Amino acid sequence: MVPMLEIGRLTVRFGGVTALDAVGLVVGPGEVVGLIGPNGAGKSTLFDCVTRRRDPDDGVIRFAGQDVLARPPHLVAGTGIARTFQHPAVFPGLSVRENVMTGAHRFGAAGFWRAAFARDGERRLRAHADRVLDLFGLLGLGDHPAAGLPHGVLKRVEIARAVAAEPRLLLLDEPAGGLGPEEALALSGLIRDLHRATGLTVVVVEHHMEFVLGLCGRIVCLDLGQKIADGPTHVVRRDPAVIAACLGAR
Amino acid sequence: MSARPATGLRAGTGHRRPAVGQYAGDRRRAWPYPRTTLGAAAAGAVAVPFLVPPYPLHQVTLVLVYVVALLGLDLVTGHGGLISLGHGAFFGVGAYTAAILLSSGAPYPVTLPAAGLVAYGLGHAFGRPAVRLSGLYLAVVTFAVAVAVPPLIRRLAPGGAMGLPVRTPGAPSFTGLDDDQWVYLLVLAVAAAAFTLMRSVIRSSLGRALVALRADAGAAELLGIHPSATRAHAFAWSAVYAGLAGCLFTWTTGFVAPESFTVTLSITLLAGIVIGGLGTVSGAVIGAVVVTFLPAPGLVSGLALVLVLAVAPHGVTGLVRRAPAFLGRRRP
Ligand SMILES: Nc1ncnc2c1ncn2[C@@H]1O[C@H](COP(=O)(O)OP(=O)(O)OP(=O)(O)O)[C@@H](O)[C@H]1O
Ligand SMILES: [Mg+2]
Repeated sequence: MVPMLEIGRLTVRFGGVTALDAVGLVVGPGEVVGLIGPNGAGKSTLFDCVTRRRDPDDGVIRFAGQDVLARPPHLVAGTGIARTFQHPAVFPGLSVRENVMTGAHRFGAAGFWRAAFARDGERRLRAHADRVLDLFGLLGLGDHPAAGLPHGVLKRVEIARAVAAEPRLLLLDEPAGGLGPEEALALSGLIRDLHRATGLTVVVVEHHMEFVLGLCGRIVCLDLGQKIADGPTHVVRRDPAVIAACLGAR
Repeated sequence: MSARPATGLRAGTGHRRPAVGQYAGDRRRAWPYPRTTLGAAAAGAVAVPFLVPPYPLHQVTLVLVYVVALLGLDLVTGHGGLISLGHGAFFGVGAYTAAILLSSGAPYPVTLPAAGLVAYGLGHAFGRPAVRLSGLYLAVVTFAVAVAVPPLIRRLAPGGAMGLPVRTPGAPSFTGLDDDQWVYLLVLAVAAAAFTLMRSVIRSSLGRALVALRADAGAAELLGIHPSATRAHAFAWSAVYAGLAGCLFTWTTGFVAPESFTVTLSITLLAGIVIGGLGTVSGAVIGAVVVTFLPAPGLVSGLALVLVLAVAPHGVTGLVRRAPAFLGRRRP
């Protein structure tokens, strides 16, 4: 079976800092993998490479067998990869619904002439966005401008936007960051349901350990740009190196 | 997905709902009767030529001409956040395309699509390379275009520095209308179509993509939005609007000259759209009134500009949209 995501020898250097040091990672279809590690371990940088925001100094990245690094960033969504950011990158000038509709941009008409007469397409996009909003408990906020919403809601809007793109691989960078314990629990339930319903592959970066332990079947731990553990959750959580690097510190 | 968790994920917990008009590009409806208002405005606009004497009618026609130009500029500047200083040049190119065709005997209906096509070609030629780099680069490139066009016209176009007088569209005899009434109605029809088209475009994927790119190009790109292609496309269409407006200008005035289309026109158009309100179609209408009636560039118009922006940072439209919330707060 072709792995969903296949990363080999991924290396990124920032001046003297090696953010990622020959990291390898294989994620199978339908897996939910937790990517953990202390601050500065290189987790976000790994996401940046997979989504073509950053060119690695070395390494290969394949998504469903295709070379990711051969594609420009705007074609990444089309292959079926969506992500969220550590600091929610919602578009403040758009309403919550429009943000989610932007997630489904690749399904719409973007040319001036076609956009002017795409009433049916717009209606379909809107209905699609409303389904996703409903799933995330955001329907009541659909017309609200994204500006002025609290952090926790923005996190949810951003995940909803990524889900609206109907990805095969969803990369979540600290989805529970800044969420209260109850909200975090609900969010993990939501992601689990989504995974069960669609067979989506998920890689989630998170410092909130209960969130990761509850959601992920497998955990990968990075420290100072190197992979120090990779295995089933119940094994990795007892790994002394992992405990020393991140679990112990909490 | 029946097992949806009922906890935590509830809408509207502890958020602050910002007042309408507080954020540029806030697209919530502030006005409760948009259809009625549009209908009344349309009826009023059709009645104008039968109520207004010729010279004021000429000015109202010019307002509609600038509405078309500003609708185009608003796509790029208001929604895309890119500064174009070349809008007046595309306007001039459209005006001259129409004038040259008219003086060589072409029927006037042909001149409108011709002006649009020429502007589209030029918009693509200059926009495509320019938008690849930063927004400031586009400002400089378009400024260069604005500076280069008048001398080019003076040298190459028929009439040279003296300008080129042309015949204006004449009313068909069966209508029983005066020529200026006929021109007004033609311009109104084009402006109404341009307005309707732009309104649906900015509410579509293209409009959202432009706003998204302006806010966070990196995040937008990951959603499948091609930054430079989207911006270049919007820029080319804004040039089309400028070119069409230029053609309407020729129909209205019957005379074109190089000094009508200097960089001053571009800057005046930019000022108009900022005063009217960026990112709103009604801002284009208000801006067009400003462009038509703004006194010649100088101390008075400069101070007026500063004053308006001090009172209304989001333009007149922002001010109007904010009024209900403001008045509501005042009332006990
Ligand atoms: N643009 C940059 N320029 C220079 N150094 C950078 C840049 N981005 C990241 N780094 C460095 O690369 C390393 C990895 O950063 P990264 O953001 O990937 O860590 P992370 O695991 O996501 O950490 P956190 O948990 O704090 O989000 C850090 O040492 C960081 O300082
Ligand atoms: Mg990070």
